[in-house]
Amino acid sequence: MILATSNFLVPNGTIVVEVIAFLIVVAFVAKVVLPPLNQMAEKRQAEIAESLGAAEAARAEADRARGERERTVEEARAEARQIVAQANRTAEQVVADARARAEEERSRLVASAGEELALARRRAVEEVSAEVAALVLAVARQVVGREVDAAAHRDLIDEAVEVLRSGDAMSRRPAAGVPAAGVPAAGVPAAGAPSASQE
Amino acid sequence: MTSVLLAASITVGSHPQGKLFGLTVNLDTLWATGAAMLVVMVLGLVLRARATSGVPGKLQLVWEAGVGAVQKQVETSIGPRGAAIVPLAVALFLFILVANWFEVFGLGAKYEFLPAPTGDINLPLGMALFVIVLVHGASIKSRGPIGYVSHYLFQPFPKFLFPLNLFINVVEEVARPLTLALRLFGNLLSGGLMLALIAALAVWHIAGLPVGYLAVVLFDPAWKLFDVLLIGPIQAFIFSLLTLIYFDVAMQHA
Repeated sequence: MILATSNFLVPNGTIVVEVIAFLIVVAFVAKVVLPPLNQMAEKRQAEIAESLGAAEAARAEADRARGERERTVEEARAEARQIVAQANRTAEQVVADARARAEEERSRLVASAGEELALARRRAVEEVSAEVAALVLAVARQVVGREVDAAAHRDLIDEAVEVLRSGDAMSRRPAAGVPAAGVPAAGVPAAGAPSASQE
Repeated sequence: MTSVLLAASITVGSHPQGKLFGLTVNLDTLWATGAAMLVVMVLGLVLRARATSGVPGKLQLVWEAGVGAVQKQVETSIGPRGAAIVPLAVALFLFILVANWFEVFGLGAKYEFLPAPTGDINLPLGMALFVIVLVHGASIKSRGPIGYVSHYLFQPFPKFLFPLNLFINVVEEVARPLTLALRLFGNLLSGGLMLALIAALAVWHIAGLPVGYLAVVLFDPAWKLFDVLLIGPIQAFIFSLLTLIYFDVAMQHA
């Protein structure tokens, strides 16, 4: 008994009260102090998480808008490029068309000019041959001294005209052609030269 | 000699005693406990009243950091089942810390007007027994009655060595509350004893000069600073940390 009251290592009735007091403290902390403070901490965390989420969402939205803007600009740029390319193609086409038309026109003009030339030449030859025929007849009449029957000597005249008509060598054919024409022709130049001097 | 005089004037573990429901109680410990409870509760109410989900004040910041550390420790070692231990650990730390800080009021007298209640074996032992009973309860709950019993018999050594296992485990289980209680009690009792020794220096004279008063003025604040800044928080921390560890060990091998 003396040991129990004097030894500070041995608990006494105080321990019962102390345990009860401690229980009260634990209950107080557990029921009164911790819940509202934990709630506040959780609420703050939730608010922080929420604002972080909102910030994240805003950032994503901004990213999306920027991407869209860039895409739109890129599209517009591509479209402009396409339009320019199209315009270039059209211009080339126009130029090529015009060139083709001009070429066609030129060849048409050249062709028609050639035709006209040929026609004029033919006409000139015909005129000349007609005159030559008349001239030959007149010369022959003078030389022969009598009327040459155009109908009777038709073949002769035709032959001469044919010589005239037969191409480009017209200028030198008379020299070679007239003697080759035969006896009546041989007399023509011989008689022709004096007659010409006579006139 | 003065040293003889000093030693004779110092008493250890003396309390004014009274009777409560037929039990002998240490009155100074009781009212100091009441005062510590009051401080903890007022602190809790102030915290509660000032609690905000906005920017927290300094007190709330410290509280949330401390509770957060306890919650993290419990969460990582025990898991969600350990959530109920958090209030216990928080209450232990707060209550022991406040009680330890009562050393500041120590006069080094035989009876303190406000002694640290943790310097009386009754409070540390009471808390340690309370904790250990809960730990065993948690162990039974998580292992089952059979698992709880076999836990004492079949580990750490092979099963056929069960007498050795039983002996080791029982020693360990008995040592836990004792060491838990005595560590805290010893630190605080010796803290009070140091104050008594320092106060007893007051009668020290050299060549008629009262050098002792100077020693008291120097050593008393120095010791109290050490007590308040180091011993008090460290012992409160160790007590609650060991509580968490005991629960962890009890609930781990479920």
